[in-house]
Amino acid sequence: MLSVSRAVGLVVLAAAVLSFPGLAPNPYILSAGIVVLNYAVLATSWNFVGGFTGYISLGHGALAGLGGYGTALLVTKAGLPSFVALAVAALAVAALAVPIGLAALRVRGASFVIVSIALVLILLLVFQSWSSVTGGSRGLVVPRPFPDLLRPEHHRVFYYLFAGLLALALLAWWVIDRSRFGLGLKAIREDEDKAEALGTPTFTYKLIVFVVSAGFTALAGGLYALWFGDLDPVFQFSILTGSYLVLMALLGGVRNLFGPLAGALIVGTALEYFKGQFGNTPLHLVATGVLLGLVVMFMPDGVLPAITGLWQRLRKSPQSSIREVSAADLQTERQRAEVAK
Amino acid sequence: MPSGALLFQSVILGLLLGGLYALLAAGLTLYFGIMRVVMIAHSAFLILAAYLAWWTHTRLGIDPLLSMIVTVPLFFGAGVLLQRGLLSRLRAITLTMMSVLLTFAVALIIEGLLGYAFTGTQRRIQLGYGSAGLQVFGARIAVVKLIAFGLAVLALAALYLLMKKTTFGWALRATIQHRDAARLVGIDTERVAGYGFGLGLATAAIGGTALSLDTTIYPSLHWHWIGPLMAIIVVGGLGSVPGAAAAAVLLGLIQSLLQIPLGTTWAQTIFYLALFATLAFRPQGFFGGRLAQRF
Repeated sequence: MLSVSRAVGLVVLAAAVLSFPGLAPNPYILSAGIVVLNYAVLATSWNFVGGFTGYISLGHGALAGLGGYGTALLVTKAGLPSFVALAVAALAVAALAVPIGLAALRVRGASFVIVSIALVLILLLVFQSWSSVTGGSRGLVVPRPFPDLLRPEHHRVFYYLFAGLLALALLAWWVIDRSRFGLGLKAIREDEDKAEALGTPTFTYKLIVFVVSAGFTALAGGLYALWFGDLDPVFQFSILTGSYLVLMALLGGVRNLFGPLAGALIVGTALEYFKGQFGNTPLHLVATGVLLGLVVMFMPDGVLPAITGLWQRLRKSPQSSIREVSAADLQTERQRAEVAK
Repeated sequence: MPSGALLFQSVILGLLLGGLYALLAAGLTLYFGIMRVVMIAHSAFLILAAYLAWWTHTRLGIDPLLSMIVTVPLFFGAGVLLQRGLLSRLRAITLTMMSVLLTFAVALIIEGLLGYAFTGTQRRIQLGYGSAGLQVFGARIAVVKLIAFGLAVLALAALYLLMKKTTFGWALRATIQHRDAARLVGIDTERVAGYGFGLGLATAAIGGTALSLDTTIYPSLHWHWIGPLMAIIVVGGLGSVPGAAAAAVLLGLIQSLLQIPLGTTWAQTIFYLALFATLAFRPQGFFGGRLAQRF
């Protein structure tokens, strides 16, 4: 059950997100807010796989790109209404995730990462070369779903659409987190062999959660396409997008419901700020790389757990003996106990 | 149907390309064997070495091959530092995943710094012997491609001898096969692992120099290499050097032949098709041993 402090936090968070369009001084700030929300949805969708199973995908940027292109092509070529196209495209990407998952998840992590990177590279190749359908490097223009709206109004509508999608993704994550299915997934993350030995259908579980993750990612990508209105393979199938998502989720904390959201707020805001100040320079890559390296080396559990830990120490509340402990923590504890002997 | 000479030329070019792939895949396999690390930054170091070779040639006016005198020891040192300073400090349980991210971060940093230092402009070395070629049975083979292939073969042979005939090679192979057992018989596995990484990165220095001879380079080029290389080590079976070499030559050959009907861009997709097919039907790879089963 929700404790009072959690409920208050949730209400404050929701109020902050929903009041942002009213507070944003100009449409540019509002559009930056949409970009950050889009990152938050993508990072949360990524966290279905990364957080629950511990399998790290660097290719989720490509799944979002597929959702975007799928939506755009269904609108322009098949003449479907915008949001029907969005739903169909998300379902199609989820369906496509089944064979990808079949190939990527039969073995352990290393192959999964390789496939996820290969996915980005092959899709970039295909979407750039197959220009008769995708428009190639010239890009693909997506008709607006609300042609009558002025630009600021358009931003406002899409801001709330993204906020709604974020709430949906968070809700789905929360439900899985508390289910037996989620328990099985977390068992895979901590020790796949033991999970399998205890009767968890590891392969099926991994595949299901990968498909769910792909579906949400495609929804976010498709919504982005409808909002932004212009797709270019170089940006849609960029390895960098995938790495931003990983960075956000890790920085926030992959074990926490709001970890990816927190990471997206930090990294996404920083990205938009630096893009506004300095434009696109190669130093973006350096900064992303350095930050990712620092997080991996020194803060693999993320900011939120660090803050929660600090909070608990300040309040001097003793840790309950019934709590989730990761296999890595357990090993560190045991090693400390060995040394203490 | 393409002419016989064209086919023959494609076969030769494919084999020459396969040699370079084999050398680079050997480095990746070495890292994987030592620490179960998928080293994403391998091809970024490859491009770094190519840039250093280009820089030596344009600024100092000497033959790009001479840059190896500096880059090979430098990369060896960088490899040792990377392993001892960064990778070995990660938590063992999440090592495979976190090391991917860490080496990915290194790749981004290298790409960004290359773009910052040399801009995104495409660079190419203009050599006196750059346009020289040999006519073999109607096929025209550029001398630079032969030099690149020769370098790759020499480096692979040296690596083979080092692994099979020297005490260090025994220690390294023992570390790869069974780390705990290697430690029990008195091998300093930590140090050996560090040197193994240095060795892997040194192959990237040689490969990069060979690459720079006849390729136009730009900072983001490494993504075009890491994809095929990772496909090669998976098809060959993760952790198997002969498997990787066989897969490298085979896929290089197929790529070269497919370029005739499909063009260069679509021919590249063969690597990804092979990757997906291998994982779907034979996830341990076609030449792999016991190691590959679990990764």
